Amino acid sequence: MHNDHDIGGTHSRRTLLKALIAAAAAGSLPLRARAQRTELRWWTPQGAPAQLDAYRYQIAAFEALHPGVSVVLEPLSDEGYAPQLAAAFSSGQVPDVVTHLPSFSVQSYYAKGLVEPFDDVIEAIGPDDFYPGANDVFRAADGRHVACGIGNSAVNILWLRTDIMQRVGLERAPETWDEFRSALQKLQGRGIYGTALPYGRNTATSLVFIGFIHGAGGQVFTPDLEVAIDSEATRNALEFYREIRDFSPIGATNYSWGEGLTAFVSGATATGLYTGRVLTNINEQNPRLSDHITCALWPRLSRDIPPWTFNDFPSVCIPAQSRHKDLARRLAAFLFEPEGYIRQLHAAPGHVLPVLQSISEDPRYLDNAIIRKYRKETDLMAEAAASGFNLGYESSAHRSNEKAGEVIASGAIADMVQRVVLNRENVDRVLADTTRAIAAVMAR
Amino acid sequence: MSRSPQALLERRYARLGLLLIAPTIVVFCAVIVYPLLAAIYLSLFQLYTPTLEGSFVGISNYRDLLARGEFWISLRNTLVWTAGTLSLQIVLGIGMALMLHQAVWFRSLARSLILFPYFVSTVVAVLVWRWLFNDLYGILNHMLIGSGAVDMPVDYLGSMPNAMISMILVGAWKYFPFVVIAVLARLQTIPDTLYEAARIDGAGPVARFFDVTLPQLRDVLVVIILLRAIWDFKEFDLIFLLTGGGPVISTQTLPLLVYKEAFALNQMGMAAAYAVVMMAIMLVFMVVYIRRTREKDAS
Repeated sequence: MHNDHDIGGTHSRRTLLKALIAAAAAGSLPLRARAQRTELRWWTPQGAPAQLDAYRYQIAAFEALHPGVSVVLEPLSDEGYAPQLAAAFSSGQVPDVVTHLPSFSVQSYYAKGLVEPFDDVIEAIGPDDFYPGANDVFRAADGRHVACGIGNSAVNILWLRTDIMQRVGLERAPETWDEFRSALQKLQGRGIYGTALPYGRNTATSLVFIGFIHGAGGQVFTPDLEVAIDSEATRNALEFYREIRDFSPIGATNYSWGEGLTAFVSGATATGLYTGRVLTNINEQNPRLSDHITCALWPRLSRDIPPWTFNDFPSVCIPAQSRHKDLARRLAAFLFEPEGYIRQLHAAPGHVLPVLQSISEDPRYLDNAIIRKYRKETDLMAEAAASGFNLGYESSAHRSNEKAGEVIASGAIADMVQRVVLNRENVDRVLADTTRAIAAVMAR
Repeated sequence: MSRSPQALLERRYARLGLLLIAPTIVVFCAVIVYPLLAAIYLSLFQLYTPTLEGSFVGISNYRDLLARGEFWISLRNTLVWTAGTLSLQIVLGIGMALMLHQAVWFRSLARSLILFPYFVSTVVAVLVWRWLFNDLYGILNHMLIGSGAVDMPVDYLGSMPNAMISMILVGAWKYFPFVVIAVLARLQTIPDTLYEAARIDGAGPVARFFDVTLPQLRDVLVVIILLRAIWDFKEFDLIFLLTGGGPVISTQTLPLLVYKEAFALNQMGMAAAYAVVMMAIMLVFMVVYIRRTREKDAS
């Protein structure tokens, strides 16, 4: 008799159904197992390969201490983190820990209730171990900390080729703009440009130029955050930035951080402006120059004006919408465990500098080929970064500026530089427009 | 009162018709109507992007944007970019399609290779072009200086009008294969008898192109121009990665302005207003274009 349950003559429909259910159950096992694990998401815009390796080491160590927890590392781009975070916040799909955001971005998010207070994590790490005042930049108007520093960064450091300096008879690094101009005149030649400053329409131009305004004794905002960019200092800075335009490669009109760094590391320029990442890149990509570089603080208009080092104060913070805040706090504190933290710092020696005093003195931290070789340079950068500022924290007298990130992202300052330096527009009109543009951002 | 079987049947058919068309309407509403209404709705608010919190401002976003010089400059840039790159795509695309329609060696290989720029990721394509344009290491400057054509490297992306010209050229290079595919497909269906008749009438190659080929391509070109104009008008990634809208805002197009408002300035309401205006502009152009084409066809 023909069995109507037979399929293909060998298996009944029921057998097949059982097999399907069994297969589905087996297939879902890993998913169920995964569902029982707690997943933490860690976002960072600092994603050089060596840094990612160091983070992965820290993740493995954290996961070993916390069975059932897995940490997913998601690198962001340096220019693109703001839109990605904006989308994450508005959709509620936020990471649990975010590292290396500039202090002013975190302040801005905290003001909107998007990140958690961070005081208990600082307590867990040990507040006394941080350099004195290192976390002042993260203090919000309510007196609480919105994040803490995971490193320091001296961004506008003047890098110099000592071999070319020697050849042209330049005995020391320039300290004032006049000395810098005169040095560039001597250094430029034989197919090598004097420097590589950014003139593009990007954040690099804005951030670098803010340093020039301070180098002329000016400021973008008054301490109570009134727009103060329309000043004699800004005029001087614009004039000087225009004067030295011809010492940068012709394509500098479109340069951002990367192009300037590459120009110096490749040997195309005699000076450069960047963080300590220059050290690693020179040693890895162009070692023939490794014995011929040094650094100094960026020159200013006159010696009477104190140097102003731009430090974006790379931070650690926890989004308020994180679903695993306790674990996120534990992970945030764990990132400062010496073994992993030192690996993180060694991944970009000189680029990200320690914020913990115990680490700076730790022989394990000092035992690094780059740090040993360039001790003078790394010490200079560490000292400069520790007393550094940024647009969210222009001086110790300034109130924290929660709109700093938006002012930079608006491009108002880069536009000002391009209009005056490239288009040679009337400075007064440009400064009036820039003031209006910044005031509009502040009023929003 | 009893209903006739005919009326019942018709009503059933009507219900069945509604039922069958319902999925299409649901999908249409979900993917077209809802986002459109949502964009218009958002444009009436001042909203902070990360929280989407804000206040109702009515049409003030529209008033603001129309009063801004930046909007008009960006609109002009968008039109220059769209017209420039689209014209080049059409010319290059038709030229290349005509060439590949001939019996040339390795025709199949050439037809495959021609698609390469269209298939390659925009990020990769832009990185490659940025290196080609680079002032210090770029091959273009190297060749120009080597040949003695220029003394100093050319600033392709940082000064005007070079930045706009470079952008248009890269855009044309990236997207002309789309025109090639569509035109080539149409060329293969044009009957040879038309060309034979034209030859008998004494038409040369140029006359044959304008009197036979081009009229035959008209329908496909209408579709190509329509689609490519829409896509070029809202092009974002290529321009953003190549020039970022600079120098100053000389190459900033409307999509870049939308992005800046939404994610740099965190003003989602204003960004939505720009997007709605963009859509309205595109709609006007498309309607005018389609009407003109129809009038031409009718005449």
